[in-house]
Amino acid sequence: MASIEETPLLKVDSVDESAPATSMWADAWRTLRRNPLFIISGILIVFIVFVALFPGVFTRENPNYCTLENSLGAASSGHPFGFDLQGCDVYARVVYGTRTSLSVGILSTLIVVFFGSLVGAIAGFCGGWVDAVLSRIVDIFMAIPMLLGAIVVLQMFRTSESIWKVVLVLALFGWVSVARIARSAVLSTKNLEFNTASTALGSTPMRNLFRHIIPNSLAPIIVIATTSLGSYIVSEATLSFLGIGLPTTTVSWGGDISNAQSLLRTDPMVLFYPSVALAITVLAFIMMGDAVKDALDPKSRTA
Amino acid sequence: MTESNNVKASEVSSASTSTNSRIATADQLHEQQLAQGPLLEVKDLQVDFTSDTGKAIHAVTDSSFSVYPGQWVAIVGESGSGKSTSAMACLGLLPGTGHVVGGSIKLDGEEISGWKPKEFVKIRGSKMGLVPQDPMSNLNPVWRIGTQVKESLVANNMDVSHEKRSKLSKALADTSVQLKDEGDETFIGSKELPQLLEAAEKALVETGCEGAKLEKAMADFRTDWVAGSETRWRVADDLMRYGVKDDDAWYIAKKYVTGSTMEDRIAGLLSEAGLPDAATRARQFPHEFSGGMRQRALIAIGLACRPELLIADEPTSALDVTVQKKILDHLRMLTDSLGTAVLFITHDLGLAAERAQHIVVMYKGRVVESGPSLEVLQHPQHPYTKRLVAAAPSLASQRIVSVKEHGGDASAIMEHKVDTAKLEANDTIIDVEHLTKEFKLPRRKELFKAVDDVSFKLKRGTTLAIVGESGSGKSTVANMCLKLLEPTSGKVLYDGQDIANFKGKSLLDFRRHVQPVFQNPYGSLDPMYSIFRSIEEPLHIHGIGDKKSRAARVRELLDMVELPESVMGRYPNELSGGQRQRIAIARAMALNPDVIVCDEAVSALDVLVQDQVLQLLNDLQAERGLSYLFITHDLAVVRQIADDVVVMQHGKLVEHGTTDQVFNNPQKQYTRDLLDAIPGGKLELGVDLADKK
Amino acid sequence: MGKYLLRRILQMIPVVLGTTLLVYALVFALPGDPVKAMFGDKPVNEAVAAQIRAEYNLDKPFIIQYLLFLKNALTLNFGETFSGQPVISEIARAFPVTIKLALMAFCFEAIFGVVFGAISGLKKGKWYDSVILIVSLLLISVPTFVTGFVGQYVLGVQLRIFPVTAGSNPGFFDLLMPAMVLGSVSMAYIIRLSRSEISTNIPQDYVRTARAKGMSNTSVTFRHILRNSMIPVVTYLGQDLGALMGGAMVTEQIFNIHGVGYLTYQSILKGEANMVVSIVTLLTLVFVVCNLVVDMLYAALDPRIRYA
Repeated sequence: MASIEETPLLKVDSVDESAPATSMWADAWRTLRRNPLFIISGILIVFIVFVALFPGVFTRENPNYCTLENSLGAASSGHPFGFDLQGCDVYARVVYGTRTSLSVGILSTLIVVFFGSLVGAIAGFCGGWVDAVLSRIVDIFMAIPMLLGAIVVLQMFRTSESIWKVVLVLALFGWVSVARIARSAVLSTKNLEFNTASTALGSTPMRNLFRHIIPNSLAPIIVIATTSLGSYIVSEATLSFLGIGLPTTTVSWGGDISNAQSLLRTDPMVLFYPSVALAITVLAFIMMGDAVKDALDPKSRTA
Repeated sequence: MTESNNVKASEVSSASTSTNSRIATADQLHEQQLAQGPLLEVKDLQVDFTSDTGKAIHAVTDSSFSVYPGQWVAIVGESGSGKSTSAMACLGLLPGTGHVVGGSIKLDGEEISGWKPKEFVKIRGSKMGLVPQDPMSNLNPVWRIGTQVKESLVANNMDVSHEKRSKLSKALADTSVQLKDEGDETFIGSKELPQLLEAAEKALVETGCEGAKLEKAMADFRTDWVAGSETRWRVADDLMRYGVKDDDAWYIAKKYVTGSTMEDRIAGLLSEAGLPDAATRARQFPHEFSGGMRQRALIAIGLACRPELLIADEPTSALDVTVQKKILDHLRMLTDSLGTAVLFITHDLGLAAERAQHIVVMYKGRVVESGPSLEVLQHPQHPYTKRLVAAAPSLASQRIVSVKEHGGDASAIMEHKVDTAKLEANDTIIDVEHLTKEFKLPRRKELFKAVDDVSFKLKRGTTLAIVGESGSGKSTVANMCLKLLEPTSGKVLYDGQDIANFKGKSLLDFRRHVQPVFQNPYGSLDPMYSIFRSIEEPLHIHGIGDKKSRAARVRELLDMVELPESVMGRYPNELSGGQRQRIAIARAMALNPDVIVCDEAVSALDVLVQDQVLQLLNDLQAERGLSYLFITHDLAVVRQIADDVVVMQHGKLVEHGTTDQVFNNPQKQYTRDLLDAIPGGKLELGVDLADKK
Repeated sequence: MGKYLLRRILQMIPVVLGTTLLVYALVFALPGDPVKAMFGDKPVNEAVAAQIRAEYNLDKPFIIQYLLFLKNALTLNFGETFSGQPVISEIARAFPVTIKLALMAFCFEAIFGVVFGAISGLKKGKWYDSVILIVSLLLISVPTFVTGFVGQYVLGVQLRIFPVTAGSNPGFFDLLMPAMVLGSVSMAYIIRLSRSEISTNIPQDYVRTARAKGMSNTSVTFRHILRNSMIPVVTYLGQDLGALMGGAMVTEQIFNIHGVGYLTYQSILKGEANMVVSIVTLLTLVFVVCNLVVDMLYAALDPRIRYA
């Protein structure tokens, strides 16, 4: 049995003043910083964004300057990846393709997150018939596989020259998954006691929504936004690969891969480079999504 | 059914004659236990957890205790004291990164602390059973209850047609009772049961038993003879008791009691644990069970293979007090009749003292005191134990202490019965009239009456407690008083005005005067808000003061709830439950309200912390003349805080009176049951209250 | 259970109606003339256009168009292609191929996804857990068409293990590589899902209770950890079966498999809006039915749902 000296009696429920104060975000950031997944994907994403913003830093070549005499030319000084069938510089096209993929990904994600969380939050917060109607609409969109839906719509706009058609189509069929997550996040937050407490303090429902419910529902939305960004880039590439995505005049990885398809047996490297660039970009965002999820997961947080 | 089970079981234990009747005194039994040597002996146990960063966290630094065969030993301590960890180490079931780093654990003299997981499998279930804490999470939702009992029997290759007795009951039997052989311990099978009853009736008629007596005998047999639980010799015993000749009784018993099937045994085990209609229940899923029923199923699982030691980890802390009492009574009777030793883990000193022969007190990972129950309670040695004993809710009114500390004349107050005077003289601040609330249940036509015609008055400067078990509608009443729910009929008057009419500005004004403190200290503070922002929020909403004055007010409030200013920048997840609850009180006090509605405000807290918060509430009332509407399931706490008590059951008001009336002279059976169920409420304590601080 | 089934079917009806309406609206009511689209780059022949409009009821109000389309769809009358073939017979030729492909992919992802996911989840932190995790992360990041090309190049062109393309009437072996490619992304998701489910189940109280009963590690793992972890995995698998049929387009394109996806793609190139809308409607129905089956499975696996 331990003597009194060994177990000095502490003041009941005293506050440990030595520990540093941390908010949820600070806590998440601390977890993130220690996660190798985050460090790797973070570096990759910063690099990718840099390439997308300043492609000129990486290559002097014009990706659209193609001459048939260079067709399938081997790698040479200034053209590290060689030339494709049309005689375009593969390296330059890979570098300039970054901007296309990234802008489609980011724009679709922004739209999807905005509308998805808006609809989800309204459904979850209002409940009742509003929720019932919105949920059925979500079900309807959910029942159409994204690729099929996108194809149906895009085939109508095959002549359009804008990347916005792809962005809007991805958003049209993508918002539902965010809406679902936002709805359940709001629903679970709505019933927490601190909302009742705030109401009893005199807070209005709207104030509760914006001051308490939405900030507390952000974590799962951020997680799905990060992961979705990667998957939208894949979808864009797939649509371009099928020839109904981005206009052929736009430099894009998906389009280049599609064009290089026929070279599989003879010149697979032309196919290889844009594929790797695409895979690395998507991988970076999916890893980032994983890391963010680990950091924001309420289960891993000390309650 | 539960009642009849109790009756049956008590008869069983007396009929089994082994433990109680033939051994003259408890002392003798105790000697028997000691003579056998400790069943479980834990010495200088140390358990570490590894944190994410690889640091060792010492969960248990020095734990020693012994459990003798057939003995109930209780480990008492607050959350985080290492009591559960110590027990789980004995089972080799430490969670996560936990591992034993020092000391020894001996089971039956054999060192088991260094065992590999495979070796533990041999002793789990068969030698050591577990009744876990939370009945909601401890049954797998996808398997039928019966299947989960069966797993235990199958895993340990249990013979399901014969009863297995523990070493102690055999050892006891050696000296005083004729040992039952395996044939005698054969169970009744459900197939033979009708024939057995038929034969029993015939035999009774032959002995000249008839009319009401025959009816009664047969009724007894029908309830007592549970397939898979009752054994041949008990059947014979029962028959003889009703006058059947020994030879005939044994003839019938031998002929018809031929062993049960697996299904019979499962139902038998469940009904032993006090589950009514066990055969049907065994085919149901956990979500169809109430908390109490699940706990009974878990007890059946824990005892299924007749372990010599049962580790009961807070087996009833999630249940209502009356259910807790029933279940523990039942467990006591079962383990007594089987000779099972119990290691009983609890945070409640009163409960421990009432149930166990021996108490072990743990604090911060160490055993600080251990000894016979009453001894520990009456003469606590370690200051922590003293503090625990002083804070035990079953002790005298907290408020008297409080008034004393504020310089009031406690004795005078007690003589004048100031509570009653105040209750009579003061004006009514909240008046609840015929309050009724009906809810619509999903896919049901009829409405569910959560609150049914409840009326009471809360006088200014006093405390009214609403007591009831889960589902009594007490929280619904609280929410209606806070105007968070609209009543179906009836009304709530605040200061003479119907709160249903409050809207906009007048509603905001009402909110300013009536504030809540909720049960869950983890849920009632927004995790994204710093403590400062949380406490400031009401000032912000009501537009009181400027930035500077609000900051000053927050400091003042923190000081009032005895928390340092440095917590202002912190977030709720960094504070303990008690600290959060004090923050919640500070937030409620920010607007200088007249009434605070405390909805189970101290229920989730450790005893000492609970005591501290109650004292804070009492101090605030004494200083500022606050009125409290205090919702709780715990009658013991009521005594420490309330002037007036309303007892509720199934939405109805059962009893209404002053605290003294209700405690000293309860009018209704339900109130008496509740009072009866307060753990340790009747223990004699000789404690000097001055030791408290 | 019967009541639950009925409720789910009733809930399905508005979804089916809404979905077909949405698809129909997307094809026929969006800005841009579908009839013009049918002519593609060719000049529009107004007489033919009018005839087509009449045939597809495009001259009637939209809602009537839709109802007529629905009526025709219910009788599997989807009209004719430009070349005069009944749409339904084209579809009937292509569907079995895709079903075969989707089922093979489904089996592949289910078996390997669950096995690797279970190994990874039960042996968290071991080197092979990390390998499995990295591979699944790669599979998710690399688009199907890239996986397809890599497979084609390495297994088909270089190693010559599998045929490079499948052709119009593919057998089991021809479809093996396409099925693996098609199922690879979902397999990776299943691995991750199983792994995370298993690691949330391992510390559950009922698992500890099961151990305390004296059950061996093997039976605890199978009866309590894996059994409970499989509920969301089965749900995912069921929903994926529907998605695989629709998602087969890229794979069929790469491996030249003449299934539904290939047909859709060709129809898009030819501008056969009628064919596209018919196929999408059918696939959506398949998807909705799969979801219903999932709901049933879910209820069968998790008794809490049945009574909810």
